[in-house]
Amino acid sequence: MQFSIITVIEKILLESGFAALGKDPRTIIMLIIACGLLYLGIVKKFEPLLLVPIAFGMLMANLPLTGILDEGGLFKYIYFGVEHAIYPSLIFLGIGAMTDFGPLIARPSSILLGAAAQFGIFTAFLLALALGFDGPIAAAIALIGGADGPTSILAASRLAPKYLPPIAIAAYSYMALIPMIQPPIMRILTTEKERKIKMVQLREVSKKEKIIFPIAVTIFVVLLIPETAPLIGMLMLGNLFRECGVVDRLSDTAQNALINIVTIFLGLSVGCKALASTFITLQTIEIIILGLAAFMLSTVGGLVFGKIMCKLSGGKINPLIGSAGVSAVPMAARVSQTEGQKANPANFLLMHAMGPNVAGVIGSAVAAGFMLKVFGA
Amino acid sequence: MGFMRISAFDAFIIALSGFAVVFAVLAIIYIIIILISKILAASGNKTGDKQEFKTDKPSENKDISYGGEVALIGVDEKTAACIMAIVSHETGIPLSELVFKKIKAI
Repeated sequence: MQFSIITVIEKILLESGFAALGKDPRTIIMLIIACGLLYLGIVKKFEPLLLVPIAFGMLMANLPLTGILDEGGLFKYIYFGVEHAIYPSLIFLGIGAMTDFGPLIARPSSILLGAAAQFGIFTAFLLALALGFDGPIAAAIALIGGADGPTSILAASRLAPKYLPPIAIAAYSYMALIPMIQPPIMRILTTEKERKIKMVQLREVSKKEKIIFPIAVTIFVVLLIPETAPLIGMLMLGNLFRECGVVDRLSDTAQNALINIVTIFLGLSVGCKALASTFITLQTIEIIILGLAAFMLSTVGGLVFGKIMCKLSGGKINPLIGSAGVSAVPMAARVSQTEGQKANPANFLLMHAMGPNVAGVIGSAVAAGFMLKVFGA
Repeated sequence: MGFMRISAFDAFIIALSGFAVVFAVLAIIYIIIILISKILAASGNKTGDKQEFKTDKPSENKDISYGGEVALIGVDEKTAACIMAIVSHETGIPLSELVFKKIKAI
């Protein structure tokens, strides 16, 4: 056998990923998108904890000839956790362990703002149907309006697996863009006088109330809509870990180590399904536009209901806390705080906005449960 | 699947009923919260609030007050807001987990 260095180099180049790249130019576009998302995550700090693994998963999955998504490939197995809704539920466990439902219990009426802010889900559902999406896909897209990544992923994995990557990326991107998306809507829909309203101190919440709350909510909500069990059950279990005071190690693990590990797997799983063939389509653009519409309409729903509560309470409730009813915790509440302080520097709305904010988490999970009940297999 | 293509009327009914279900469930949770509070308040009055719930970290978790107001003594509101932000930043504890009762100028 004659050995030729030129032949070897030629063989390496022809069988390398570089040669394969030329076969489908869309792959190059996907690599550019992945690098763009990495830039947004690392430099602009847009939800970096999720955007970095999602973008890197996208990068790896689109590099040709790796076989990483085939039978026996790494991502094939990592994706199992998304396919079976394991990761979103575990993320909810961590969120529950990090969430203080105290402000919600202290002012229970704020839970209605969390319901009103799901308005965008149902209007976006109608818009998606009008654009020609099938019912289950429209439902999965609409849930972006809940501003809740794990809920969107769980619903998409069950209702529209093919569209999971654009839905997840849209959901997390808009959550990161909350400080840019919400304030203009808040200023348009509220008056200067309303934004200046100072809310009174919330009542004290006892330890017993905080312990009974997750147990009671789990029993009631899961009995009513069993499809919410993975999300509501895990959210409330995490919260019980936090509040019961006897499992501090579990609480610590749920809100730190576990959620970090699952975030890596979740990000990679979502990213690895963003392949050129399914991602670079007209539907992806439509999903991204619909997601934005859903998000904005949810903000509108929360604010309008906030104004109604402001009127009914005789001006005691600042309608700005309504926009926090979208469930992106705690970013949406921070935006309410910031806008409130711009109008009145002595305004401290953060704790008041946390009530609707955590109610939004429950609201979006219930909305997802409803959609799964209607459209699930 | 029967719902793959749905009529405009059915779609509207689904959206409306979905929104109503979310509202109804959260409204019932609202009632549950009030009931729990009332029952606990009543049982607390009966026992004279003598029974304290034991936890391994009672000082951290006991009856937290969520304040939208902080007592300011000799401090203007802008300075108080700065102090709160600095404490949060330096300790690494989010503002949502900090409770300020009083800020007093020395």
